[in-house]
Amino acid sequence: MSAASVTTFPRRIPPTILVVEDNVLTRSAISDELRAHGFKVLEASSADDAITVLDTMRVDLLFVDIHLPGTQNGLDVARHVRTNGMVTRMIMTSSLSEASSIPDLDDLGPFIRKPYLISRVIGLVSESLGWPDLPRM
Amino acid sequence: MSPASTNVTPQWDNHLHTLLVVEDEVLIRLAIADYLRECGYKVYEAVNAQEAVAMLQSPEVVVDIVFSDVQMPGDMDGFALSRWIRANKPGVQVILTSGVERSANMAATPCVAGPLLEKPYPPQDVVDRIKQLATRVGRSDRGKR
Repeated sequence: MSAASVTTFPRRIPPTILVVEDNVLTRSAISDELRAHGFKVLEASSADDAITVLDTMRVDLLFVDIHLPGTQNGLDVARHVRTNGMVTRMIMTSSLSEASSIPDLDDLGPFIRKPYLISRVIGLVSESLGWPDLPRM
Repeated sequence: MSPASTNVTPQWDNHLHTLLVVEDEVLIRLAIADYLRECGYKVYEAVNAQEAVAMLQSPEVVVDIVFSDVQMPGDMDGFALSRWIRANKPGVQVILTSGVERSANMAATPCVAGPLLEKPYPPQDVVDRIKQLATRVGRSDRGKR
């Protein structure tokens, strides 16, 4: 066997996703499904907790509900990512019927309206991260 | 019986047990949950007792062991959660953890499954305690929940 016939595939570390959602059942369902698809998933229930996580560890993708309890919301989390130059992709979600009423939404990343199919979220996440990618032949 | 069909029952199968980690401090919760998943457990997370109750009441969620902090924001602390579990989910085992000495002393009651784990606790201590409790949670118990 010659060296030219060997195809090597670089080992990839699964992307880390931060799911920010105050409804525990929704958060658990999304996180569970993402883990089943091979992602490493971190969970937060508030904007403050999400920012604590983002400031502590690398997050590859932020999946965040715009409406969160407390003084800060999902948009504040997204702006924190941008302001601090974090290399973190973002997907926003909300139950609002008029997504266009959310300022700066288009600049922040893809948006998915609630209620959503979890399969659609998985698709959006996978597409945003290019995961899993196909081996090059 | 051929060697290929011999069925060896493992002494310990973490995938039989599902845990619910209840902790309001996000970095602590993430670290514990992550460690327990690496040990092979399925782990749900809750930030307070109210979320824990919502999870335990969900028909789609089956939990064997709850690992909960004592001091948490909201109307219910870890002791109240433990009492709720004993009243409503008697098949679910509870481990409480606390950084407060008084809470540790209060733990010497029949309301909990054993002494408190005092913070800071090595993650392996959590796994060891879970293994102790898990011997009480058999497959046949799951239907009773």
